[in-house]
Amino acid sequence: MKTRIPTVLPAVVTAGALLAACSGGTEAGDSGGGGSKTLTLASVDQGSVEDVVKAFEKANPGVKVRYTTSGADQYQQQIRTQLSSGTAPDVMSVWPGNGNPGATYVLAKPGYLRDLSDQPWAAKMPDAIKSVAQYEGKTYNAIFGQNGIGAVYNQQALEKAGLTPPDTWKDLLEFCRAAKAKGTPAFALGNQDNWVTQLVQYALVATTVYGDDRDFDKKMQAGQATFAQSPWTTALDKYLTMERTGCFQKNPLGTNYEASQGLAATGKTLGIVQGNWVIALLKGKNPKGTFTFKALPATDDPSATIVPAAAGAGYGVNAKAKNKDLALKFVNFVMSPEGMNLFVKKQGGLPSLPDTGYAVDPSLTELSKFITEDRTVPFMDQLWPNPKVQQTMLSGLQEIFSDQSTPEKVLKEMDADYKAGS
Amino acid sequence: MTLAPNEHLPDQDRPPDVEPPPRVRRARAMPPWWFALPALVLFAFVVLVPSIRGVYYAFTDWDGLDPSFSFVGLDNFADMVRDPDAVQAIRHTLLIAVSITVIQNALGLLLALGVNSAIKSRNLLRVFLFAPAVITPIVTAYLWRNLLSPDGAVNSLLGAVGLDGWRQDWLGSPQVALWSVVGVIVWQFAGYSMVIFLAGLQSVPKEVHEAAAIDGAGPVRRFWSVTRPLLAPALTINLMLSIIGGIKLFDQVYALTGGGPGHATDTISTLIYKDAFTLGEFGYSIALAVVLTIIVAVVSAGQYLVLSRNERAAS
Repeated sequence: MKTRIPTVLPAVVTAGALLAACSGGTEAGDSGGGGSKTLTLASVDQGSVEDVVKAFEKANPGVKVRYTTSGADQYQQQIRTQLSSGTAPDVMSVWPGNGNPGATYVLAKPGYLRDLSDQPWAAKMPDAIKSVAQYEGKTYNAIFGQNGIGAVYNQQALEKAGLTPPDTWKDLLEFCRAAKAKGTPAFALGNQDNWVTQLVQYALVATTVYGDDRDFDKKMQAGQATFAQSPWTTALDKYLTMERTGCFQKNPLGTNYEASQGLAATGKTLGIVQGNWVIALLKGKNPKGTFTFKALPATDDPSATIVPAAAGAGYGVNAKAKNKDLALKFVNFVMSPEGMNLFVKKQGGLPSLPDTGYAVDPSLTELSKFITEDRTVPFMDQLWPNPKVQQTMLSGLQEIFSDQSTPEKVLKEMDADYKAGS
Repeated sequence: MTLAPNEHLPDQDRPPDVEPPPRVRRARAMPPWWFALPALVLFAFVVLVPSIRGVYYAFTDWDGLDPSFSFVGLDNFADMVRDPDAVQAIRHTLLIAVSITVIQNALGLLLALGVNSAIKSRNLLRVFLFAPAVITPIVTAYLWRNLLSPDGAVNSLLGAVGLDGWRQDWLGSPQVALWSVVGVIVWQFAGYSMVIFLAGLQSVPKEVHEAAAIDGAGPVRRFWSVTRPLLAPALTINLMLSIIGGIKLFDQVYALTGGGPGHATDTISTLIYKDAFTLGEFGYSIALAVVLTIIVAVVSAGQYLVLSRNERAAS
């Protein structure tokens, strides 16, 4: 975890607390002094929030943001402890929807987040994003960016192999065979890190499940559909067909996320099935490389292809924020064209609100097109009732890949966890 | 000529032949209990009270966040019996703990016997063999994660010496992964066991060995009848440390395999972590932690009883 606490700050904070205590109430103390000038913030946007904080401080002279950044796992532990012990920061990273320990529903339900429905940007959110930024009809999450999952190709490696990205399922398998014959497998797969196992599955489910039935989630929620009795089986079958056809490098279960990036970045594979965020990481490993995002086809009709694209983590305001005004100011800055563009440019994603004047990176043209044409579905887990469904799927996929389980068994287990509810 | 303390005194001046007053003697043998009070208070405040309070949550359905939760009695423990992941994790934990204890100490003893001999480079060897034990486990785990990857150094080495058939997906194959974890831990801590055995070996008097040799005892006989009994205390310490460490195992497993593939290398500790922080099932996870504590307490108490009896028998 990176922590940035200027040395004078503890003194300032202590002095502020003492002043507040003397004036007989924290609220009175704040307003009496013209509003406290320190905002506390906890973020998972490592590498990008730093710039936003700098710009925010510049736009608000005299204001100091005291912030910490950490990885998702560590952050989820930290924020839960802080919230339940009353020591959480004013503003914090919050994931969209449900299904992880730091998600909107999970934090809004016990009343830890402030209702942001009255903020100017809340009404402008597109429906797909609104659905995961809200809990019981109220907006709690300032979601600034969105991401997609698909095939990210290494252009140089493609040219060397003399192959072009496929846009039908049949061509995809042909592409895999040709790539394998040339000694460079089509895609790197880092299934040792269990969250990676789901990405190919999501990319295939988007088209096979949601292509024919956009209301699949509503049917699941109403108990009218199950994983085991739906085209989820088709998608899983296609995933394994890809594996058998040789679309991935050898031993995906012994390859971690980091190693899989290395394979795709250096042209040992022609690409990688990942979120668009991997492009920045691939460029970090091979600055001369050109990487392009394409949809992963799952049927033989290119116009039927759908891409999983979803809101990334946003920011929520602590319901008991010590500095409410400044917290709202920060969140509104994040949702302004300036803050939003700073964030998405650094992260390699796309803004969540229209009309921000953002120039899309050429590598993301296809993703941007799918989003504007409304050919996307949110990441599947964002609307699941509890985190267990996803965890069962992740370890289940590892078990399928290592012959410890079968697709039918895993989908049935996911159904059981789904039915257990929240 | 020196005199025994009372020898020069006339008989009638000698103090009566009684024990010194018990109060004074006890005071010398053991400082008053309240000397430990500050430490006890601190320990109670920082360790004991939070631990006991924590146990309460094992009987609730707390999710770690929601202030409203309810008392569910023994439900969490009943769920554990029905949870195949938990049963499997308990099995893995015991398997890992026993394997580590046996292999690490056997290897540690062999190394100690080796570096206790009169070879020239023994000091250098001791340093080399002990070195892995001073590195943070998480660092060695990440190091080995790279060495054991499909394209890693271990497989390259096997290929280079013509043992292609031995190449494995060391951490990605469910049959092999658990043993890879055991291997890494043994690699790291065999040197630690070695140092403790070495200390034991060096407390064995040379004269006893020489006497046994003169009596015609061969090296094996000398080890079994002279060295082994005197090594009993070192063995007790080593076995206790490695079995407790093995049962509590978390960081190396988490960094090497994350408990995977699937749940093939999950231990009780990794499951506790996942249930608490990934799934938000704090109540259940604390129930698992309570079970872990009980296992550690029972196993180490049992082991202590057996070993201390052996120690007495050997001395």
